[in-house]
Amino acid sequence: MLNQHISRPMNKFTLAALFWLISVPMIISPALSAQEETETEKVEPLDTYLSFLATYTSNDTVVLTANLYIRNGRVRVDLQNAPISFTLSGNDEQMKAGEAFTDSTGKAQVMIPTSSLPRNKEGMVTYMADFTGTDNYVSSSETFMSKPARLEVSFYEEDSVKFIRVTGFQFSSDGEAEPISDETILLFVPSLFRPMPIGEVWLEQDGSGSMEFPLTLVGDSLGNLTVIAQIDEHDSFGYVKGEATCGWAIPKHLQSQDKPTRQLWTPVAPIWMMITLIILLAGVWGHYIYAVVELVKIKKSAKKEAVQEKD
Amino acid sequence: MPNEREITLLKEFAPQIEHTTFIQAIWMFFLAAIVALGFYALYVQIAYGHIVTGMRDNVVWGIYIVNFIFFMGVSYAGALISGTLHLFRAEWRKPINRIAEFITIIALLIGPCYILLCIGRLDRLYYLVIFGRIQSPITWDVIAISTDIFGCLIFLYLALLRDIAAIRDFQAIRIPKWKRKLYTWLALGYTGTTEQRERLHKATDIMAAMVIAIAVIVYSVLAWIFSVTLQPGWHSTIFGPYFVIAAVFSGCGVMIVVMWLFRKLYHLEKYITRKHFVNVGVLMLILAALFGYFTFSDYLTKWYGSERNDELLINLLFDEYYWLFILSNYVGVLLPMVVVGIKKLRTINNITISAVIVILALWVNRYLIVVPTLESPYLPIQDSRPDWLFYNSTWVEWALTAAGVAFFALAFTIGSKFIPIINVSEMADSSELEEEEILI
Repeated sequence: MLNQHISRPMNKFTLAALFWLISVPMIISPALSAQEETETEKVEPLDTYLSFLATYTSNDTVVLTANLYIRNGRVRVDLQNAPISFTLSGNDEQMKAGEAFTDSTGKAQVMIPTSSLPRNKEGMVTYMADFTGTDNYVSSSETFMSKPARLEVSFYEEDSVKFIRVTGFQFSSDGEAEPISDETILLFVPSLFRPMPIGEVWLEQDGSGSMEFPLTLVGDSLGNLTVIAQIDEHDSFGYVKGEATCGWAIPKHLQSQDKPTRQLWTPVAPIWMMITLIILLAGVWGHYIYAVVELVKIKKSAKKEAVQEKD
Repeated sequence: MPNEREITLLKEFAPQIEHTTFIQAIWMFFLAAIVALGFYALYVQIAYGHIVTGMRDNVVWGIYIVNFIFFMGVSYAGALISGTLHLFRAEWRKPINRIAEFITIIALLIGPCYILLCIGRLDRLYYLVIFGRIQSPITWDVIAISTDIFGCLIFLYLALLRDIAAIRDFQAIRIPKWKRKLYTWLALGYTGTTEQRERLHKATDIMAAMVIAIAVIVYSVLAWIFSVTLQPGWHSTIFGPYFVIAAVFSGCGVMIVVMWLFRKLYHLEKYITRKHFVNVGVLMLILAALFGYFTFSDYLTKWYGSERNDELLINLLFDEYYWLFILSNYVGVLLPMVVVGIKKLRTINNITISAVIVILALWVNRYLIVVPTLESPYLPIQDSRPDWLFYNSTWVEWALTAAGVAFFALAFTIGSKFIPIINVSEMADSSELEEEEILI
C-alpha cells in the first residue's frame, strides 16, 4: 500500500509545472527587450522649454542664466550639452552676449559687465536666449526686458547698535545712477541648501534703508558672515543681488566631535567582545565537558558492573 | 545484550556491514577516482600556485569559498534537523536521524578544507593562532568551526553509542577481529543499564540542544564575515538569519537526496517511506518560503536604496547572471513549493527532483553572493588587467569541487559500512504499534 507512491514517474501535472517555472522568465526576458527596441525606433523631435533670467550683481555685472529642459509627462528632464546663445539689444542694434553649453542640470550661464549693456530710451535692456534645436529636439527661445540696477550692502554701528544698510541704484539710458526708492529689499544669509531670510529693508527716497543686525547669527570661525540683499521678479529690474561680508556674527567654534574609535584596529579587543566570547565559549564547552563526563561515568559504571559480575 | 527487536533489525542490516557488493565496490572506486583527481588538482595548485585557479587580485574568492559555505550550510542543516527532531521526540525521525547525523559530521569535515585551498601560503597557517586577533571575523570563524566540529563529533558519538554496543554484542555478525575490537573500544562498555541509559539520554539531550544553538551561531558568524565587510551586496543586517535559513534549506535538499540514494542502495523502502520524504519536503517548503522572503527583502531594500554600487550589482545580477539568478531565486524557491504544496505532485521522485534543483539553486545562490560582488567593488584596483576583473573558474577548482562531493558520498558509503544507516537502537525502542506509526 505504501509503495504505491514510491516511484511514480513524473506525471503531466509535474511537467506542466516545471514547464511553467522555466518558461515564464524565458518569455518575459525577450518580450521586455523587444519592447525596448521598438520604443527606441520611434523617435520624434521633442518640444523643449527654456527658462531665462538676468541677475544684476553688486560688482557691476549681469549674470544671464538659461535652463533648458523637456517634459516627460509631469516630469521635467534637464538637457545637457545643449548650446544656448545669448543676445542683447537696446534700441535697434543687437549684440551677441555669448554662447554657453548647458551642464548636467540643464543650466547655461554667461556673465557680462553692466557697462557694456545696450539700452533703449528708458534705459531698458532686451535679453534673448536661444536654443536652435536638433534632429531630436525642437528649438526654443525666451526674451525679456529689464533695467540695470545695483544693490549695495554695508554695515554701520550707531550707539553700540549694529545695522545693515542697503542702497539701491538704477541706471538711466546714459548710464547715470539714480536711487531706487519705495521698494522692499529682502535680506538673506547663506545656509546649507537655500539662503536663509533674516529680514526686509524698505528703501527710502534717497535709495537706502537699514535694519538692525541680528546678533544671533552664526558666522565662520572668525565671526565673518555674508549678508545678501535681493530683489526678485521686479517688473523693471528683474533680479538684483548685492552682498557684503561683516565680522559681527557669532564665531563658530568647530568642535572636533568624538569620533567613534575603531577599536577593531587596536591590538586589544573591545571588552564587550571579550566578555561575550568568554561567556559563549564557556557555556558551550561547559556543556561539552558535561557530555564527556557523562560518557566517562558510563565507562566507569560498565567497569564496576564487570567487576561485580566477576565477583 | 541486544534485545529481540535489535537482533531482528541487526540481522537485516548486518549484510551492509559484512559485505560490499560488486556494484558498491564500483561505486566506491568511482568516487575514490574522483577524489584522486582532486588530489592531482591540489598537487597542480601547490606546485604552480594559485595562478592555476580563477582567483585574482580583484576577485579573490571563487568557487572554493562557495563550496565552503555550501558544505558548512549542509552540515548545520543536518545538526539542526537531527537536534530538533531529537528534542521534539518526533517518532518519524528515527529511520532518518542517522542520515542527518552523518550529513552533519561529513559535511563539517569537508567544508573547512575549501578554506585551506583559498590560502596562498599554507605554511603560514599557524600565524592565525599566533597572531590571530579576537576582533577579526576570520578568528571568530576559526573558533566557531572548531567548536562546532567538537560538538558535532560528541553528538554523533552519543547517537552512535547504543548501536555500536549492539553490534559489539551481536555475535551473529561476521566482521574481522579488529573491527569487533574497535566496536568494543568505542562502546565504552555500554550495556544499557538504567544508569547508563539515563546518563546517555541526558548527555544526548544537552548535546542536541547545543548543536542547534551552535549551528545557528556558527553559520551566523560565517554570514558576518561577509556582512561586516563594506562590499556591495554583503553589508546587510539580515545576512545572519538569511544564511541560516539558506543553510537549512539546502540541507533539507541534501537530506532528501541522500535518503533517496540509500533507500535505493540498501533497499530501505520499508523504513524510509513516502511519509519521511513528505515530512522533510514540507520542511523544505517552509524554508523555501522563508528563503524567498529573505531574498526578496534583501534585494528590495538594496534596489530601493539606489546606492550606486548596489545598483551596479543588481544590474550585473539581472544582466550577466540573469539565468543563474532566476535558477537560484526563482526556480529554486518556487519548485519545492509547487511540488510539495500540491498533493498530486507530492511523490518521492518529484520531491527528490525538486531537492536536487534546490541543492543546485542554493549552490548558485552562494556563487551569486560571492563572485558578482567581488566583480563590482567600491574601490576597483586601478590599471588592473581586464582579464583579472572578472572571475573565470578553472578545471583545478572544478576538480577539487567534484572531489569534495565525491568524498562526501564516499564517506557516507564507508560510514554506512561501519554503522547501520538506520538507527537500530532507537527503532528497537518503539513498540510494534509505534513502529507502524513511524513507518506509515
